[in-house]
Amino acid sequence: MRGFLLALAAAWACAAGAQELKPWTGGATPALVLQDLEGRSHSLESYRGKVVLINFWATWCEPCREEMPSIDRLRKSLDGRPFVVLAVNLAEPPSRIRGYLQKVPLGFSVLLDRDTAVAKAFKARILPATFIVGPDGKIRYSYVGELDWSQEKVHRTIAALLPP
Amino acid sequence: MSRRAFLKLSAAAAAGALPWRSVSATPDWHTYDVATKVTILKPQGASRAWIPLPLLDDTDWHRAIGNTWSGNAAKVQVHTDGKYGVSMLFAEWKEGEQAPVVEVTSRFMTRDRTVDFSRPNANVPRLSAADYAFYTSATELIPTDGIVRETARDIVKGQRTDVDKARAIYEWIVENTFRDPKTRGCGWGDIKTMLETKNFGGKCGDLNAMFVGLSRASGIPARDVYGLRVAPSIHGYRSLGVGAPVITKAQHCRAEFYAQGFGWVPVDPADVRKVVLEEPPGNLPVEDAKVEAARKRLFGGWEMNWLAYNMAHDVVLPGAGVKAPKLPYLMYINGETGGQRLDQLEPDAFRYEIRTSGVKA
Repeated sequence: MRGFLLALAAAWACAAGAQELKPWTGGATPALVLQDLEGRSHSLESYRGKVVLINFWATWCEPCREEMPSIDRLRKSLDGRPFVVLAVNLAEPPSRIRGYLQKVPLGFSVLLDRDTAVAKAFKARILPATFIVGPDGKIRYSYVGELDWSQEKVHRTIAALLPP
Repeated sequence: MSRRAFLKLSAAAAAGALPWRSVSATPDWHTYDVATKVTILKPQGASRAWIPLPLLDDTDWHRAIGNTWSGNAAKVQVHTDGKYGVSMLFAEWKEGEQAPVVEVTSRFMTRDRTVDFSRPNANVPRLSAADYAFYTSATELIPTDGIVRETARDIVKGQRTDVDKARAIYEWIVENTFRDPKTRGCGWGDIKTMLETKNFGGKCGDLNAMFVGLSRASGIPARDVYGLRVAPSIHGYRSLGVGAPVITKAQHCRAEFYAQGFGWVPVDPADVRKVVLEEPPGNLPVEDAKVEAARKRLFGGWEMNWLAYNMAHDVVLPGAGVKAPKLPYLMYINGETGGQRLDQLEPDAFRYEIRTSGVKA
């Protein structure tokens, strides 16, 4: 524990209203292997060759709920392209998540981070926290806080990562 | 974050349902949300605020789930700072912001702690030499030499094990100190002055710091744990819980010592003295059954109707524009505006409010 204690780490910084993805400088990409609501296993490694948007969220997080529809609009706008969204829920019961999805249907997988171990590995201490992983499996961008993911600039940045 | 979203979040937090202690996420874990809203009144120039966040490390009695924020800060950062790893949210507003405001909501889980001293566990990890040195060292307000060491030596004389020594220190504090309701906040833990003046009145920041200092001076690793009460006590102690969802002034610190075979052991002699002073009808004798029960329970047990923030001493606030001494600990919200540090113990003047709500499974 002490090793981590000794560091001064500003885990992230964001300027309100910046609305720009932050190029990643945070080091290696943590492993992600989680089950979705249907019990299927998802491994980040298995999505090699695709761009993956990993969004850490919870239903009690108002900004998370606010931005979720825009993530789905981004997904739809990239339909047919090698782009995947993994929405990682932090330690909530599946029944509560399903209740939310009944009100806000989403076209991507919701994964269960039951003990928040994956969120901690990604240092996702503030929600929502989103990471864009390139086709090579490395994190390219991150964003902490609510963002309109369907805006043109964000779309352009993510589309530029897609393999031809 | 839009203002619309911020207002919606505020309304949601204000509507926290009661009673919030009766719900649980798993049979023995309880989940809570704590919403802390900070407003800088009469801002002048740049303004800043520092808000403690739940303990980062998962333990068998605490799990941090996540935090979210809203408001109009120009810059927000999470800092994990200093040798103790205190975790805090730093918010900064530029000059010209008329109504600086930030609200942080933290979700976490807790489970009650009890140590069975009749069953030592040989598999409990030993402290490393570095950790042993770290948790027996002095802080700026908790020296381990001079009168602290002399007092500790007298108290633990004849005691053999670390548990026995820690118990002797615990009992000494219960017998010799008292909760002083006039102490501002939780007290700053200047234990050398307390011992020199033989003024043993104070609150948790004083009395539990005394436990930590006397333990460290006896060679027993010990640490303060700073936090916040978030729910009523299920053991019938009105004084050891909160009775309403507004918990702005419910800060409370506890203490732990390390003993081989048991690991970190929770104690809270300050809360024994709180029961003496505050449990109805008030000013109970130490022999009162309620006091005796609390005295027994609080050596080796914590009811976890309480959020742990950190174990940090001598805290420097990152990004501060005002030169100020180190904080003895970070348990309150801190702020600055107009080139001046705001009084962290005056939430009405400074305007911060903390609310708690349980989460149904």
